[in-house]
Amino acid sequence: MATPMIELDRVAKHYGNHAAVADVSFTIEKGEFVALMGPSGCGKTTTLRMIAGLDQPTSGEIRLWGRRLNEDAPWERDAPLVWQSYALFPFLSVRRNVEFGLKQRGLPAAERRKKADEWMERLGIASFAERGVDQLSGGQRQRVALARALALEPEMLLLDEPLSALDPHLRVRMQSELVRLHRELGITFICVTHSHSEAFAMADRVVIMNEGRIQQIGAPRDIHRRAANRFVAEFVGGNNIFTGTARFEDDGSIALAGLVGTVHAPAPMEGGIVTGGAATLVVPADRIELAGTSTGAGNEVQARVVTVEFVGSTVTVFLETEGGCELRAQRSLHEMENTPLAVGQPVVARWSPQQGFFLPG
Amino acid sequence: MSMAALRRLLLLAYTALVFAFIFAPIVSTIVFSFNADRFPSLPWGGFSLQWYEAIFADATIQRGLMNSLIVAGVTCVIATFLGFSAAYVDYRYRFLGKSIYLALAALPPTVPVVILGVALLTFEGRVGLSGTLQGIIVGHVVLSTPFAMALVRMRLADLDPDIERAAWNLGASPWATMFGVIVPFCTPAILAALFLTAAVSFDEFMIAWFVSGVNETLPVRVLAMLQGQVSPRINAIGAIVFGVSITLVVLAQLLLGRMSGRAARKKG
Amino acid sequence: MSEPLPTPDTGSAPLKGTSRRATEARFAVFWGAPPALWQAAFFLVPLGFLVAMTFWSVKNFRLTPDATLANWMFILNAGFFRNAYVYTFWLSALTAAIASVAAFPAAYTLAYKVSPAVRRFMIFMLVVPFFTSYPVRIYSTQIFFSPQGIINTVLVPLGLGPLHVLNTPTGTVVGYLVLTLPLVVLLQTFALANVPRILIEAAHNLGCGRLRTIWTVIIPSARIGLIVAGTFAFVLAFGDYVAPTYLGGSKPPTLSILIADQVKSGNNWPRASVVAVMMIVTLMVVMLVMIGFAYGRRKEKA
Repeated sequence: MATPMIELDRVAKHYGNHAAVADVSFTIEKGEFVALMGPSGCGKTTTLRMIAGLDQPTSGEIRLWGRRLNEDAPWERDAPLVWQSYALFPFLSVRRNVEFGLKQRGLPAAERRKKADEWMERLGIASFAERGVDQLSGGQRQRVALARALALEPEMLLLDEPLSALDPHLRVRMQSELVRLHRELGITFICVTHSHSEAFAMADRVVIMNEGRIQQIGAPRDIHRRAANRFVAEFVGGNNIFTGTARFEDDGSIALAGLVGTVHAPAPMEGGIVTGGAATLVVPADRIELAGTSTGAGNEVQARVVTVEFVGSTVTVFLETEGGCELRAQRSLHEMENTPLAVGQPVVARWSPQQGFFLPG
Repeated sequence: MSMAALRRLLLLAYTALVFAFIFAPIVSTIVFSFNADRFPSLPWGGFSLQWYEAIFADATIQRGLMNSLIVAGVTCVIATFLGFSAAYVDYRYRFLGKSIYLALAALPPTVPVVILGVALLTFEGRVGLSGTLQGIIVGHVVLSTPFAMALVRMRLADLDPDIERAAWNLGASPWATMFGVIVPFCTPAILAALFLTAAVSFDEFMIAWFVSGVNETLPVRVLAMLQGQVSPRINAIGAIVFGVSITLVVLAQLLLGRMSGRAARKKG
Repeated sequence: MSEPLPTPDTGSAPLKGTSRRATEARFAVFWGAPPALWQAAFFLVPLGFLVAMTFWSVKNFRLTPDATLANWMFILNAGFFRNAYVYTFWLSALTAAIASVAAFPAAYTLAYKVSPAVRRFMIFMLVVPFFTSYPVRIYSTQIFFSPQGIINTVLVPLGLGPLHVLNTPTGTVVGYLVLTLPLVVLLQTFALANVPRILIEAAHNLGCGRLRTIWTVIIPSARIGLIVAGTFAFVLAFGDYVAPTYLGGSKPPTLSILIADQVKSGNNWPRASVVAVMMIVTLMVVMLVMIGFAYGRRKEKA
């Protein structure tokens, strides 16, 4: 097997008794866009900083193309970082910020200038090259930070919450711009974010962390379809999570009896569920259809509409059953315009057994 | 007039009185340095520059001024370097005994200068520094380093620690970061520290008095003249010293003002 | 992009790491060591030397290393030292009290009754005196109070004089005030300006009168700054040499005059050192007591 580009092997970082990163192993291939995602304090930023050399692992090994990287000083690595706070040099002009890294590499002034011009042009900041960075807006600073890092033409780019300081409308634009840059440059992007929508929209692969440990690694689609555990199912959002008692049916599927009533889903391949034992079923909200009357097919739950929430072209309908079980269904705006719903209205929530999955043991 | 306005007027009048007490000696020094009469009193004896001519003709005063300028010039460079270093260490590092380190750097101004003077005199006598300008410089650096440190530390408080790390991340070694990022950022504070420590040294008379021997600085010359009879030449020297010091302090103040103005804009 | 290079040999990675640590250590020592070394060599060592010298003896006018308590016994039992100690302490405490009380209304005015621009300018003005030659200021003050000086030329015709201030303890205190008042006004202004406005407004809102607000809200809130200001005044006055010499006429002498005389003429450095060490100890005790006073009761309240 070929050596992966970046490899984290049982990496841990302790501050006194506290483990910011407990035991993390994963690999990243050249050209991937990987998102490290999790709630604040989960260790994602520490992991990124260890790749940049700003923090040193307490144990474990970080390898680049198979070579141990732990002892390399940050200034000896080729892993420029786009900082959450941008960390632009406040006393330098935009141009000199972009040229900074090139200057450290000893590039002659003329070449520096040419490269800086190219990158400022590419990121649309050429028109204020001579301005001080304190005269720029947040979005412009973000672009300077990107140009400053990319001007080094690195083989990987690290991004620490790159969108969190931007206004919502800028965030969406920047998100697609980062994806475009990644595609055009073909280099590895490693991006830390706490937002699953950002991570899922941009990354090829997502590493979900909690309390210093990896919870799941996978493509966004897989994580959405098959959360590895309850933490992931809750953290990525948009999931209904039902708990209850399991019973194996004759056809090999499992029936779950709980607050939601009795619903069916296929048995997990990993096993770990026994008849009479507790089980947790996940049903993505966008798989739940709403109907006026029961048809008797698939899983069906009688419920009442509690709230209807409109976000963009998606509508989330919050429901509650007679027994007090909460459900939510995500439908398109288009669909909802044809069948408007009133609060308090009784509906039938329905999904095919194949759309739900049980969390392993 | 309302009670509130009256109260305010009384307070302002009192404050003016306090400022008059503080500034009367300074103002009269300058005013009487131009008075033709030998004894500084009323009525005014007419405008004259004779006292200035007298001091510029006095070789001991000229030597004193020269010595003071040399001492202040060297002191400010060393003290600013040491103050900058201590402030950076405080900003950047955490280590066992840091509070002792900082106390060592910051405490000298709390010790009476008369004691510092005696201590330095006895010590320097042993190592052959007493009676030299170097001996005075050594003491003035001890005394003025904390002021430089305070100014630079205030500036560094406004520097996001990520900025230093960002420089490393872009390939700058600690040395390159120091001269490419930290020093440029601190330049206003460093200049202010140069002016301020020069002013502290230029006005210091007690350490210099003990240590200087025959190499009198200007303030030491003044102290010697005070022991003699009343002489308007002291006023003339005072006015010149005032002019030099205030120029230095105003320059420092302007630099600091520009600094805080920028910080305010950044926040705004 | 080139394909992954085979790992050269394992020796290179640790080597790079060692160089990183070495670079960082050199860097830290380059910046960290000079201030510590300088202050240790020229501040700590001389002070330590001063302490050591209190146990030395003077034989045939020559300073000889020794381990005698004779200097301590002599100074602590000497009437002139005791008198000077009490006199210096008392005058410095008096100065701190007068400066604190006299500065308060002015600091109050600067903190609350003027616009921020005026306040900034006045604060700058208060810094100016620190950079005008203090001996020259004392000289000017001397002229003011001299028999033919401005004050007496105004007072005597009014039948109010002549005022005898020079060569009296009053003269010394006036000089101490010339030294300390700007600093006390400055520090008190900072202390008062930092009292949250909302506390004062709340007090007024609850029907607390102006004077009572000052007494029950402003002074307790600003106590640390006010105590620090007074302590600084004490420290400065306690160590001053110029005011007691040129305005107080050296009679009676203060501790700093004793030291200067012993060193400049008497040549009994060990005894001067005892006086100096006593002064340092006194200042440390005073500062510790005042810090405890400033912060101690606050904890109790919290």
